Amino acid sequence: MATVKDLLKAKFTQVWYVTPTSTVSDALKLLAEQQIGAVLVVEAGKIVGIFSERDFARKALLPEVNLGTPVGDLMVRGVYYVTPDQSVESCMAMMTAKRFRHLPVLEDGKLVGVISIGDVIRQIMSEKDSTIQSLEDYIWVHMI
Amino acid sequence: MATVNNLLLHKGKDVWSVQADSTVRETLQLMGEKNIGAVLVMENQKIVGIFSERDYARHASRKGSMLLEEPIHSLMTHSVYYVSPVQTVEEVMALMTSKKIRHLPVMDNERLVGLISIGDVVKQIMSDKETTILGLENYILGRDYSG
Repeated sequence: MATVKDLLKAKFTQVWYVTPTSTVSDALKLLAEQQIGAVLVVEAGKIVGIFSERDFARKALLPEVNLGTPVGDLMVRGVYYVTPDQSVESCMAMMTAKRFRHLPVLEDGKLVGVISIGDVIRQIMSEKDSTIQSLEDYIWVHMI
Repeated sequence: MATVNNLLLHKGKDVWSVQADSTVRETLQLMGEKNIGAVLVMENQKIVGIFSERDYARHASRKGSMLLEEPIHSLMTHSVYYVSPVQTVEEVMALMTSKKIRHLPVMDNERLVGLISIGDVVKQIMSDKETTILGLENYILGRDYSG
């Protein structure tokens, strides 16, 4: 069964992040340039939050919020994360239960990548497809 | 193989929409209340666009403004792809993947009957695959036990 490590190997892992003092405008620019839906917020080498298109859309109506607002004010704190040896299924369960589209990957407290719900689903689908394939092969060889 | 119709049965046919002249503020409010990522934009009971959290983030960034009082038709995505209830979920998945879109309206003879998200589609495909695996396993076990 595949682990988070396998997912990270399969994709080029560039992790994009901003700092809590970056402005909303900076963060949105990064999201647009990299065509991503969320960025990590990192301070002194530690993840302190995550900021997504959804966070922006939800908080844009607050009167004190504008494009100059520091990301630290809008980010979601208490980021959930996974480790490289965790199974892809466990990531899927966490993403579904918490309705997250992205999860940072930490190894010994260090950020080594980010996985998205798309990565996770592709992996699980392809595992299911190969299970189906081998069951069908088994039936052809042994039972028909 | 599951169709869009099967999906709509599970999730219901609630479709949230706004009028083309609604403001961004009103639209974001609706999306927040319903906890949804996109809404359809209607004019004279016809779909004229779709507006998502992503559209908002991209426009605000490009214009350098919060755009809250702008009419939604100036920010929405115009070219709306749609699917019909008889299409398979695999076809829908392929369309969403190739166009990189997360939401598709469902049209039945020009009548809007639902809005499906990539999450709905993935859930259905996963459960179809599970069912296939279970069926194959039962077939193998059944034959083994009886033989």
